[in-house]
Amino acid sequence: MTELSVDERHAAGTVELTMQQAVNRALRTALAEDPAVLLFGEDVGRLGGVFRVTDGLQAEFGADRVFDTPLAESAIVGMAVGLAMNGFRPVPELQFDGFAYPAVDQIVNQMARMHYRSRGTAPMPITLRLPSFGGIQAPEHHGESLEALFAHVPGLKVVAPADPADAYRLLLQSVRADDPVVFMEPKARYWDRGPVPVGADASGMDPIGTSRVVRPGRHATLVAWGAMVHRCLEVAELAAEDGVDLEVLDLRWLKPIDADGLAASVARTRRAVVVHEAPLTAGLGAEVAALITERAFRDLAAPVQRVTGFDVPYPAGPLEPQYLPTIDRVLFAVQRTLEF
Amino acid sequence: MDVLPGEVPIAYTEVPGRGVPVLLLHGFGSGYDANWVRAGWPHALDGLAHIGVDLRGHGGSGRPRDAGAYRPAAMAGDLERLLDALGVQRCDVLAYSMGSRIAWEFALTRPDRVRRAVLGGFGPVDAFAGTDLDRLDAPDGGPFTEVFRAAAAQPGADPAALAACARGQAAHPFTADPAPAGVPLLFVAGEHDTLASGVEDVARAVGAAPAVRVPRRDHRTAVSARAFKTAAVGFLTRGVRPLSGV
Amino acid sequence: MAEVTFTLPDLGEGLVEASVLEWLVAPGDTVERNAPLVELETAKSAVEIPSPHAGTVARVHAEEGAVVAVGAPLVTFEVADAPGIVGTVPRAEKPTRRVRLTPPKE
Repeated sequence: MTELSVDERHAAGTVELTMQQAVNRALRTALAEDPAVLLFGEDVGRLGGVFRVTDGLQAEFGADRVFDTPLAESAIVGMAVGLAMNGFRPVPELQFDGFAYPAVDQIVNQMARMHYRSRGTAPMPITLRLPSFGGIQAPEHHGESLEALFAHVPGLKVVAPADPADAYRLLLQSVRADDPVVFMEPKARYWDRGPVPVGADASGMDPIGTSRVVRPGRHATLVAWGAMVHRCLEVAELAAEDGVDLEVLDLRWLKPIDADGLAASVARTRRAVVVHEAPLTAGLGAEVAALITERAFRDLAAPVQRVTGFDVPYPAGPLEPQYLPTIDRVLFAVQRTLEF
Repeated sequence: MDVLPGEVPIAYTEVPGRGVPVLLLHGFGSGYDANWVRAGWPHALDGLAHIGVDLRGHGGSGRPRDAGAYRPAAMAGDLERLLDALGVQRCDVLAYSMGSRIAWEFALTRPDRVRRAVLGGFGPVDAFAGTDLDRLDAPDGGPFTEVFRAAAAQPGADPAALAACARGQAAHPFTADPAPAGVPLLFVAGEHDTLASGVEDVARAVGAAPAVRVPRRDHRTAVSARAFKTAAVGFLTRGVRPLSGV
Repeated sequence: MAEVTFTLPDLGEGLVEASVLEWLVAPGDTVERNAPLVELETAKSAVEIPSPHAGTVARVHAEEGAVVAVGAPLVTFEVADAPGIVGTVPRAEKPTRRVRLTPPKE
């Protein structure tokens, strides 16, 4: 990462950043604006994070606020719950999504429920950062798609940004929220560069649970989140060569899901294909298809199609390109809706 | 490290690789790790098989407290016992300082077990001359006391064993005659290594190649020098060709 | 590319500093991980430090003969961007496809 001066780090305006830098910048902003914000996790402090996302933050804000933990995900999330009960605003990191499984009890039974269990006396303003999804050919446990698992848990919010600007906005919004948020950063897009409006009062913050249309179109809607938004934009470019005009809807929030946004898009395009990396069965694509069917049944010209990973354990790196939804698989699903 | 059991147990590390195994012998107060590993020799040996040893009184090996246990012949005997246990008939030796004194003794008494030897940081001067070996911890004991104090202060060092080692060595001063028969020797020392003064004469006397002096290095700093490594590995691998099948 | 600075590691035995005996690399050199990097002299011995990274030497922070404290910068490398300890950085590729679409009749 390019070194920025202290002034540059906090200046408002629009700057060109990678997603790593955008997340770093949002964390800086959050640490600076609220002394209750704490960052911690494995290698988060001294090393600056396995993806360099917390680079320089310990040096700037001190080891009391940005610190390393033992290699124990259950302890990381458990500590976050205790800190939140005592007035802090923790932003723990679990290094890789596959490492979240040992912390499921703390996430599901404690973090998600404490506010409810305490009759509202113990809010859980925790943002659990989870580098997520595949695409970097990492070993087992380093690439998973856990959004359906966490979206299924009452009490959690789940969000996945698709580009640097959204990573900055959505992370700041998550940290400021008083509810627990699982923040799924798409590892494969960490190195993407883009303009990011920064500053504590960055404009363009939609309410939590709002999707966005990243490319308008009229023949079908591609619904995606995280790294698959990029894939769908590639598909839309190629489809345009064939005279097919695809809309790409970035769902962003996977809980709560923007049912109104989905219905509005399908009302325009009459067809929908939902694309995700997670396996098909009981994946979030089913939820999206059900919401569209409930809200926009009469608008639909074809059944909602799903293009997903397969119902297999996440494969080894060399097989990843075959596992992740390919351009051709998405195009084929689009063609099915066009021909129905 | 592994330990060869016995009256004086000997700690060693066997690293598999190509060719005749190289037996690595460290200097006084040091050990295989400090003398060789930390100085980058495993990398420099570039895949050659080698055996690192902690000489008796040092590192993980046994630590007798009587000077007689440190006669060069007794210390060389440990090497023979180790080679027997490892099933190594013949080895090369790479040695430094006191280790070179032991290597000389080993090559002298068992020339059939030593193919070639590199003797580093070594010469005919008596390192113990002018030192009162019964008062090694005294501030005015003589030139060797500084070496002794540094060695004795190392974590895990056994000052009583090291003192006995010094006395045992001093009781059997080095003489260049007789020389090991039929064992090619290479002498290497730092340019400013005063403990190696006169090594050129020894090299000439035994008919070895001229001693290699490492520019700008002394007794302590020559051990990691690239020039030492290049010379030693070149000497040990000289003329080595794959077996021809005869 | 990213820059990574290697600081003098704890050499053990209570040593707090070391002096540079000889650099085995120079700025501009490409080094492999674990290749010999620098020789140092401590109060106790001479040691050779292997390179902790693969990359290009950008600059060295201490002249030969200089004393370096444990934790002080020793050398800065230029290394390829990496996702950290696992995986590979995805390469941008031109999207390709085989499937062609037929636009709907309107």
